Amino acid sequence: MAGTFETTIRKLWQTLSAIKTGVILLIITVIVSAAGTVILQRPATEAEEMQRAYSPNMLRLLDAMGLTDVFHAWWFVLLLTLVSLSIIAASIQRFPNSWRFFSRPYKSPDESFRKALPVQAQIAVPDEETGLAAAERVLRKAGLKPERFVKENSFSLFAERNRVSELAVYIVHASLLLIFLGGIVDALYGWRGYMSLTRGEQSSRIEQNGNKRTLPFAIRCDAAGQENYADGTPKRWWSKLAVIEAGEVVQRKEIVVNDPLVYRGIRFYQSSYGRTGKLDKLVLTAAPLAGSGDSKEIVLAQGETAPLDADTTVRLAEFIPDYVVQDGQVYARSNDLENPAVHLIVTSAKSGKSVNVWLPAIPGFEQNSESPYSFEGKDIQMAYFTGLEVSHEPGQWGVWAGVILMGLGLALVFYLVHTRFWVVPVKDARGHLTLWLGGTANRNKDVFEQRFRKAVQEIESEMKIQSQPCARAHATSLAGD
Amino acid sequence: MARAKAEQQPAATGTTLVVGVGLGVAFLLFMAFLNVVKSGNLLSEPNLLYAALIFYAGAGTLYLGFGVTGTPSYIRFASLATWAGLVANTGAVAHRWYEAGHPPFASIYEMLLSFVWTLAVLTLIAEKKYGVKVIGTVTMPVAIVGVVLMQLLRTEVRPLVPALQSTWLHVHVTLAMLAYAACALSFALAMMFLIQDKVKTETFLAATSLFTVGTYIGVLTRFEKWGGLNVVAWSPQDKSEVFIAKGVRLFVVIPDLGWLMLIVLAAVAAPLLLYLIFRKTEDESFLDMANRTVFVSILLQTMALAFFILRARDGQYASLDAEGLFSTSLAASPFILSGLVGGIFASLLYLLLLWRRSDLERMLPSAEELDRITYRTIAIAFPLLTLMIAAGAYWANRTWGSYWSWDPKETWAAITWLVYAGYLHMRITRGWRGRRAAYFAILGFAVVMFTFFGVTYLLPGLHAYA
Repeated sequence: MAGTFETTIRKLWQTLSAIKTGVILLIITVIVSAAGTVILQRPATEAEEMQRAYSPNMLRLLDAMGLTDVFHAWWFVLLLTLVSLSIIAASIQRFPNSWRFFSRPYKSPDESFRKALPVQAQIAVPDEETGLAAAERVLRKAGLKPERFVKENSFSLFAERNRVSELAVYIVHASLLLIFLGGIVDALYGWRGYMSLTRGEQSSRIEQNGNKRTLPFAIRCDAAGQENYADGTPKRWWSKLAVIEAGEVVQRKEIVVNDPLVYRGIRFYQSSYGRTGKLDKLVLTAAPLAGSGDSKEIVLAQGETAPLDADTTVRLAEFIPDYVVQDGQVYARSNDLENPAVHLIVTSAKSGKSVNVWLPAIPGFEQNSESPYSFEGKDIQMAYFTGLEVSHEPGQWGVWAGVILMGLGLALVFYLVHTRFWVVPVKDARGHLTLWLGGTANRNKDVFEQRFRKAVQEIESEMKIQSQPCARAHATSLAGD
Repeated sequence: MARAKAEQQPAATGTTLVVGVGLGVAFLLFMAFLNVVKSGNLLSEPNLLYAALIFYAGAGTLYLGFGVTGTPSYIRFASLATWAGLVANTGAVAHRWYEAGHPPFASIYEMLLSFVWTLAVLTLIAEKKYGVKVIGTVTMPVAIVGVVLMQLLRTEVRPLVPALQSTWLHVHVTLAMLAYAACALSFALAMMFLIQDKVKTETFLAATSLFTVGTYIGVLTRFEKWGGLNVVAWSPQDKSEVFIAKGVRLFVVIPDLGWLMLIVLAAVAAPLLLYLIFRKTEDESFLDMANRTVFVSILLQTMALAFFILRARDGQYASLDAEGLFSTSLAASPFILSGLVGGIFASLLYLLLLWRRSDLERMLPSAEELDRITYRTIAIAFPLLTLMIAAGAYWANRTWGSYWSWDPKETWAAITWLVYAGYLHMRITRGWRGRRAAYFAILGFAVVMFTFFGVTYLLPGLHAYA
């Protein structure tokens, strides 16, 4: 019983770690993702549009198959998990070999290795020392550090470069897993929401697709605005935000699109800006109709009351940014400041009489002539809201770390080649002393072979130069005579 | 039979072509000079682009001439012309950059400008460093198409909307352009490998026909009842597409153009059909016929392009979704336009192969060399793709508050990345070389093209800017 269980596990492991499994999983992932970009997706598309695009039966089928929200479906997560497991298993299976390679470099090759190596050469040498010394010089010139090994009365040379390249692929795989891990953490513990604030408003409530979330701190908008290009297209949206915790301002920042405020891992992004259609401030001048007295300036907000003299007060009852009169009613046509109307109520405390004043005078509503004061609008300041996207992504640090690690790993994989050289003095078939040279590279083998041939030539010419000096000196002395 | 005839085509001899191209370039420059004298502004962006176009066209002709005749001196002149075109192109990029105050990546026009520049640089590198001399035969016509498209799309410098004002955007788009250009190069190299690897000429016929058929099917997704063709409406005042809602473009119907496209689809499908019959019957005469239908299809394709340009350039058409007449512009349909031009171009390249295969084989580096260079190009493209995606994710995180939202462009970028990752794994761990690897590289580029054009054209999403 235990035996069959073990074999099952082993078989499962073998399947999981096979390259073929990985490739099949990746192909499935690719097909499913592609399907997810072609079929309209639920969270991004509104229900109405989905119904317009597909017939009810089709929609039911797609929904049942989970194809209308591919990237958040449990089986897609499962698929990505399987891909991760496959990468892990494949890496674990191959890692011990690579590690052995890395930690215990093969430095003095035996005869069978020498026979099997594809890139090798033999050159005749007068004696061991001359040959090895020449090889050493050439390798050193190429930027390698050759080591000498003493073995049973003979020497051999070993030189290598970029051994770390053997492990680079594991760095890339680990970085991919780190990115996945970050993504999973965000999928489980991350959230997104939205909040909108007007100037001076303070809130800790965030809207999330229907439900609400309350933060342990509040955000206050101190100011917000929009700057335009000369042609009227928006250039910049900004909001001055303050973070308030336990009644105190703990952080302030002016955010713009592309530059969020971050507090306790929660990010506030500038996402929209616009009119609320409500009034922020109305500036009026009021001039008394009877008797003397200077006109005075008053500032009113919606519903606010201001004194005009000891007896009379004025209240801003209504503000309509874009009014239209229809069927004996005043309506707001839009939230834009197109055609504003102001409804004031002037009340006398003594007589208790109230008068409706409309600016402009709308016939049928206004009683402007009965008011003891005449009013003139000076300035209208509309209230604006700033829309903030709020997101919390605790896993994103894993993602960025993974990205950096991957960049590093890929650089190592593609641009660092592990090259190795061995030099061993051997006797050839006829008993002459020769220098056996061999080399390998783990990538770009063709380029390495060219470099190897060049190195062999250099060693040969190096030995000639060494053995020539006396001959050449002899020749020059003859010429001098 | 067909091949025997093809080999009797007269080869352009000696210096005729160089002199011809030289005279043409001189004439065009002279005409441009007359214009400049009139307007008095020598180094303006349109002039620089015009100069780049002339030089690239000269280079393209010379590269083609080299491909056809194999006269080595053509290459020298072609390189010189490419260099001259690159200088003018660099000037245009610098001018644009200076005028706009940001690197030229904000609109399709600006991206094309950068793409063509990258392509010219890579062509010169491939030629000088790797000795792939005929690469210009493929890349220069692409550059010419790019510059011609730019002439049609030219827009004033438009201010950047707030979301695009980020250094990360520039990083992202630069990397994308570099990566895509490298992928394009690997595709061209893989194609050349297949030529050197003795893939049958008729296989290329099938591939070319398949490509053109795909293009026309893509165009015909815009087919409208009663033979019209839907194109995006263009507002001349705003110099942009007309939107009826956020991200939803307004389409107008150009009457009868749909029928024409349908006829051309039949014409480009004919060679494919004949090829299939040839495969079934092994009767060479069908192949002969297929090659002849390629001529006919080129003729019809050119006609389709001409009619499309004439009718879509400016005109007032009705829409099914809104009342009244709306104007159109070529700038509103860059993808249809490049599809049509690309189809003609692919068919012409097939003809070149049909007639001059043996010369081409002599000119190209060996199959093994091409295989290696293809791999090396992908080894450059892959890290660039990775960094491109990472920079995009970082930018998205700063702008939308999320580094990955499974938007179609993102998803397809990830798919591209996976395909090339697959190529590298197969090559490194499974030792895939030669033809299988070349097919894989071609598949990779097809996915890149879909990510670049197809996603923008067919699938809606956040990447509305490009």
